[in-house]
Amino acid sequence: MGIVSSAVQPDMAERDTQPAAGAAKTADAGGAAGAQFPSVSWFRCLADLMNANRARQEQLGYVDCVAGFRVLDGPGGAPWACEVTFEEFEAIDVRECARGDASRANFTLEATQATWREMIESIAAGDGRPDLTHTLNYLTHPGTPMRLVADDPLEADLYFRYNQSLQEFVNASAQIATVFPIS
Amino acid sequence: MSNPLALPVDVEPLITSLPLSEEGLIHYEEQFSRHYQGWSEILMENHERLQRGSYSLHWMNTDGANWGKRAKPSSRGLTYTDTNRIPAYGTLPEHAEWRNFAPRGSVREPYRERMPVLDEYVVMERDDVWADNVLTLYEEAKARQWNATRDIPWGELEPLPEDLEKATCQLCTFLTEVEFVAGDFPAKWLYRIPQDFLEVKSFLATQIMDEARHQEVFRKRAIAGGGLLHASPGFEWALKAILEAPTHTMGTFLLNLLGEGLVLSIFRSGEMIAKTFVDKEIFRRCLQDEARHVSYGVLQLKTHLDAAPDREAALEQMHRFADVGEMVILTAFTEAALVEPVAILLAGSLGKIDQGMQGLAHVWTMFIEEYFARCDRAGFDRRARSRIPLSAPWAS
Repeated sequence: MGIVSSAVQPDMAERDTQPAAGAAKTADAGGAAGAQFPSVSWFRCLADLMNANRARQEQLGYVDCVAGFRVLDGPGGAPWACEVTFEEFEAIDVRECARGDASRANFTLEATQATWREMIESIAAGDGRPDLTHTLNYLTHPGTPMRLVADDPLEADLYFRYNQSLQEFVNASAQIATVFPIS
Repeated sequence: MSNPLALPVDVEPLITSLPLSEEGLIHYEEQFSRHYQGWSEILMENHERLQRGSYSLHWMNTDGANWGKRAKPSSRGLTYTDTNRIPAYGTLPEHAEWRNFAPRGSVREPYRERMPVLDEYVVMERDDVWADNVLTLYEEAKARQWNATRDIPWGELEPLPEDLEKATCQLCTFLTEVEFVAGDFPAKWLYRIPQDFLEVKSFLATQIMDEARHQEVFRKRAIAGGGLLHASPGFEWALKAILEAPTHTMGTFLLNLLGEGLVLSIFRSGEMIAKTFVDKEIFRRCLQDEARHVSYGVLQLKTHLDAAPDREAALEQMHRFADVGEMVILTAFTEAALVEPVAILLAGSLGKIDQGMQGLAHVWTMFIEEYFARCDRAGFDRRARSRIPLSAPWAS
């Protein structure tokens, strides 16, 4: 199991945490050995991993959108959200959205911590490929347990247009030793 | 001088037993004989000049050209957006006048009278084809192409229980049947759109390629898994309604916004209910392509309606068309050969088909709302007028 040292993750030292089931790998990108979910650093690790693998992104093609990721019951039980800006073949920006901030996201994926965790653990157990019932599309298509939120149908369509790239973006979490807060 | 039109002596005449269309050939000969003076004068002039050993070099004259206005590449390379920043190249006419292949922005005016007219170019209004996202979609389509032979992990395909394999193969048979209309429709209009709208023609060419790949991947999946199963009359009527739409905008609405919107839902459902990683990958790849086509359909309709001199009249025409089109499309999407396999895959077995139908009813309601939302986005409110049932016919 990928236990993350608090020396690498200073922001985690004060929290009770537990590693993702099946998370046995250590991220190479961005110098991060692991990260807590949800956190900006966790999404930055994914961004770093994506950017470190440009050849794969060039195969998949352009991604031009701002994707929101929301945990309905984040740290302390409060909603937590961040936005990842994708441009061309890279994730160029990751930022947390404080409550009241105007969203820049074209669309947002929102789910409970338990749903996100299940998905991440499935990806880790599958060594970078979730099982059949934990892909982003599987989770969002019926509208539950994960919801695709967008004000404009054309912006919602961006989620579909880039679906393979977004799936591989989260699949890279298998390379991070993800740690979850103990509930 | 010798007759420049005489055949060289070493060229043998065509073998008359070849199955040529005699009628078509006669028409072709007559047509070019009728315009003989037009093109033969050009040929004679060229022939004489070449015989004299003189050069024209008129093409080096930059009067009337946009010579020296160089396009600069952006981070992605040199896109149409980059070249279109130069107004002489990037300004699309509201009404196209050139019914030939002369490139927009070239020196073409001096040659206007000597150029042929292509009668097939009939879509002369920009707003009957344009959409503000077409340049982005074209670049994206090129960048996100994939290969149905190589990019799908076919080697991982495993046999499924018979009911699930048959359901998967029937769904793939349906998709093989419907996918090529989404290639045939843009192909039909591609050659009716003049060259001044080259960006739209380019995007339509990518759509044709996308649909060829979809037809290919579903045909291959069925044949690799068990075989193609049943074609359906209901599918065929829907496809005919699309292909025979009276205008490009109407057909694009029916194909891209409604039809492909529905197929996008089926692809999303297909990914969700896939029983193998191979099927997951197929549906995920396809839904990306389909979403581009849907996005074009939404903004093409919006452009058409926004530019209509009489918006109310244009809306009424579209409503009349949609009244028919929606019902014919519905014929396909109520066919047993589509609904039942999806329900079986949703539920996980033939024995649980009732449960699957309940799940499908949920997808139906979701799809209808997405369809109305896309119509709203285009400025085309179908909510009050549409006769598509908001709930699936089998929903309690």
